[in-house]
Amino acid sequence: MTGKPRPDLNDAAAAPYWEAAARHELMLPRCDGCGLVFFPPREHCPGCWNGDLSWQPMSGGGKVWTFTEVHVAFYDDTWAEDVPYVVAVIELDEGPRLLANIVEPDMDRLSIGDRVEVVFEDRSEGVSLPMFRAIK
Amino acid sequence: MSVLDGIAIVGVAETAIGKLPGRSAISLQAEAGVAAVAAAGLAKDDIDGVFSFSGYSQAMMLHAARVAEHLGLRPELAVVTDVGGPGTHHAALLNVAAAIDAGMCTAALCTYGENGISIRRSGRGRAPGTLTGGEDFEAPYGQIAMISGYALFAQRHMHLHGTTSEQLGAVAVTSRYHASLNDNAHKREPITLADHQASPMISSPLRRLDCSLISDAGGAFVVTSVERARSLGVPYARVLGYGAATTHHVPSQAPDLHELGGPLAATRAFERSGMTAADVDAVYIHDACTFSVVAGVEALGLCGEGEGGPYAESGALALGSKCPVNLHGGMLSHGHAGGVFHLLDAVRQLQGTAGQRQVDGAEVVVAHGNGGVFSTFSTMVLGRGG
Ligand SMILES: [Zn+2]
Repeated sequence: MTGKPRPDLNDAAAAPYWEAAARHELMLPRCDGCGLVFFPPREHCPGCWNGDLSWQPMSGGGKVWTFTEVHVAFYDDTWAEDVPYVVAVIELDEGPRLLANIVEPDMDRLSIGDRVEVVFEDRSEGVSLPMFRAIK
Repeated sequence: MSVLDGIAIVGVAETAIGKLPGRSAISLQAEAGVAAVAAAGLAKDDIDGVFSFSGYSQAMMLHAARVAEHLGLRPELAVVTDVGGPGTHHAALLNVAAAIDAGMCTAALCTYGENGISIRRSGRGRAPGTLTGGEDFEAPYGQIAMISGYALFAQRHMHLHGTTSEQLGAVAVTSRYHASLNDNAHKREPITLADHQASPMISSPLRRLDCSLISDAGGAFVVTSVERARSLGVPYARVLGYGAATTHHVPSQAPDLHELGGPLAATRAFERSGMTAADVDAVYIHDACTFSVVAGVEALGLCGEGEGGPYAESGALALGSKCPVNLHGGMLSHGHAGGVFHLLDAVRQLQGTAGQRQVDGAEVVVAHGNGGVFSTFSTMVLGRGG
């Protein structure tokens, strides 16, 4: 077991995202210039290159844009205990898309367009990952 | 006029393909390179430019300088291009054309390939996660393989357009049929749709037989001026039009299917060539998975948007149809060592040297496809030389 990949919590542009996640809050940067809410976090707005940004809480709601159920542990045994697991692209109600796992998926029913809500997985020291769960 | 009008691809070659224990990536590239120079009717001393890429299983810096040293060459330029997929080889052609136009090169050797199987035993292979990118926001979720990225798009195409697993299977079966006509293909045993449907799920909706191979293999081509090519007396291919498009890097940041770069790259290449899809005698689509071919035939305008699945199922991909796809067997069956073999076989069709899989009288052949997960697209319209 080599350990799952960890995000770089010290990346200056993304640190507030991970700090919010550790509090189980989903926050994304919003451009003070053009108002674009975007992901992943970076030092400037990808829409207008403005560097003045604010952090905005997200509703936590979204829908499944697409998904795949991964059946094999690639490369080594890092994910061997997790397969099969669902990787999905989630479109947040605020617009941005991000990739996450669907937790406790019902594979007979999971479909593109399904409503989901954010939940958090405390992965390791200081690392909490936003995940999504289907809204029944 | 474009600098691309002045170049000719004069020699192509590939090594054996499959599991080749003990063969380093650079030895495979060098073997292909020496053979390609001979096929061009040239000799070592004629080569004054080296263009290459290490491949992704063991990415290297200054790779073209390594190739040059390995082959005992001291060229003015030794240039790496890394655009992803076919774009890497197509961008090399653009670089060579500019170098020839600038008087910096007269005959370039372009080498590719890797030992994707054997590298794993050497312990030197690339660490998981760095291939796909998304180290902070995707890899922690287990998005660490290219194929699961492709699966995300295949799933969405099925949802939006009703594409089926059986339609993807038709791509796999046709690729294997073409490979059965190719003595050098990695996998030549014919498969059926039932075999495809029975193959295990890797990343839904993609089954094992939807996935490209991993192979040890090298491929190379030689580029010179059209003027020089004529004097060599060997058949050659010319560039009629080149187009590309870049939209994103990781899957979550991609635009929706209809806004991916494939149609854009194809339209740009066709416009620059003065050709249309109706003029094309064969196409070579970078088939990281079966779905790549479905997306590719749509992007090239061989069928309408969303109609790639039924198009594949109709038999339109096979030798004997109006515009067959991946006649060498593609990465699904011929071999996957970075994808240069599509370009090599496109050139062979135009040289008239494709053997059992030759399209009679092929005049216009297109190489097309993506790098990353539909991140970069590249389309090269090639024509038969004089
Ligand atoms: Zn902005």
